[in-house]
Amino acid sequence: MESSDGEAVDKRRVHLRPVTLRDPALILLHLMPCEVLVNRPAPVGLFFTPAIRQGPDGLEVSFRGRSLRGEEVVVPPGLVGYVMTEEKGEVLLGKQDFSEGLEDDEQEERELVEPPEALERDFDRFIGATASFSSFTLWGLETIPGPDAKVRGALTWPSLAAAIHAQVPED
Amino acid sequence: MATGVDCGEGASARQHVFLVPEYLKDASKKMKSGLMFVKLVNPCSGEGAIYLFNVCLPQLFEIKVFKEKNHSWFINESVQSGGLLHFATPMDPLFLLLHYLIKADREGKFQPLEQVVMDDMFPNCILLLKLPELEKLLRHVTEEKVNPEIDKKKYYKYSKEKTLKWLEKKVNQTMAALKTNNVNVGARVQSTAFFSGDPVSSDKEEDYICYAHGLISDYIPKELSDDLSKYLKLPEPPASVPNPPSKKVKLSDEPVEAKEDYTKFNTKDLKTVKKNSKMTAAQKALAKVDKSGMKSIDSFFGAKHVKKIGKI
Repeated sequence: MESSDGEAVDKRRVHLRPVTLRDPALILLHLMPCEVLVNRPAPVGLFFTPAIRQGPDGLEVSFRGRSLRGEEVVVPPGLVGYVMTEEKGEVLLGKQDFSEGLEDDEQEERELVEPPEALERDFDRFIGATASFSSFTLWGLETIPGPDAKVRGALTWPSLAAAIHAQVPED
Repeated sequence: MATGVDCGEGASARQHVFLVPEYLKDASKKMKSGLMFVKLVNPCSGEGAIYLFNVCLPQLFEIKVFKEKNHSWFINESVQSGGLLHFATPMDPLFLLLHYLIKADREGKFQPLEQVVMDDMFPNCILLLKLPELEKLLRHVTEEKVNPEIDKKKYYKYSKEKTLKWLEKKVNQTMAALKTNNVNVGARVQSTAFFSGDPVSSDKEEDYICYAHGLISDYIPKELSDDLSKYLKLPEPPASVPNPPSKKVKLSDEPVEAKEDYTKFNTKDLKTVKKNSKMTAAQKALAKVDKSGMKSIDSFFGAKHVKKIGKI
């Protein structure tokens, strides 16, 4: 992470393509109790998934010779899970790119589109959902992460946030 | 953080795991564009934070990141380091507007909103002016004046009295949510019992109000948080504890969103990330009231008190 561009940096917007949120493929997610220091393709379906067993107390598997115990964690109601990936390559500048960004058909819905002049297109980038999920498998070393696991606490955040940010009645 | 080792061979694009409100999926069916991540001010710290803005509705969402040491994702046939889980939750834009109103109040006069919501650091703040029902929102925290002769324009001025009343209502509705939301309170009691071995006391009214005050304080500047504490007649913070704050009061981590920035566009903040030096009145109060279980929002997401898990 290097700093660049001075103040222009903060004008940047990362556009999330709504079309990608509609129906991305449902996938399997595992939250591992260890740090693997790379981001790259891995033959999960060859080594990991086939080794998962249903044990007396939850799911069992091993990774790098260590025994893991896990269980399915369902995404809280009212929420949906997405995996998002930034689009690679240079984003072309100018108006024509913006209309290309609209991709398919239905030009009549253009009134919902943000006015192009509001965009700082030079700095804009795009991100899109590549997959969705409604649950993931939470893994712990040797034992199932208990009810006090931090990730479970985090999953209650949306309901609390709703209360904090709900409008209050006027006097 | 050494999470972003994505330069090795075979490295691929960083994948972000997100939880977003379901209705955003439905809304997306009618949109071609208009959803974007932008950097706006964090109304508590004054630093930058990432928000999701829906231009079509329009609506503001806050982004929080769950981050715990020693985690990574297996996403289908790939591995993603860090194990981050991002939450997009609706945010009351009034907290952000308040930041600007308080700033503008130094001039001590009534001003039109466009003059108030201006920011060289975060020019995207003009998006806030697009939000619906701004006038209604602003009534909670400002005095307003209309000048019918010149234009029909509204002029606003920050009102501390009104703001404190508004914040009190916020605290009350947050308290109510804490009480009904058994998961939260329950989890807190459980983990308290788990780690400290203290006998689990039943939650007192005072605990709830301090907790709620602490949560709200993550969205307002410290001075206002102190004022709110007095206004609510919360227990006085213990006579200034000389640094270093004990482990027990390490309640708030640095702003997560400014630090681990997946969008990589707030690079400057990395160097200026606030030290953990200042405690809000709420945190001090919390430190006094209940020594183990209480947390500010960030503690839901921070990576500080982690169970030791050996490297695999």
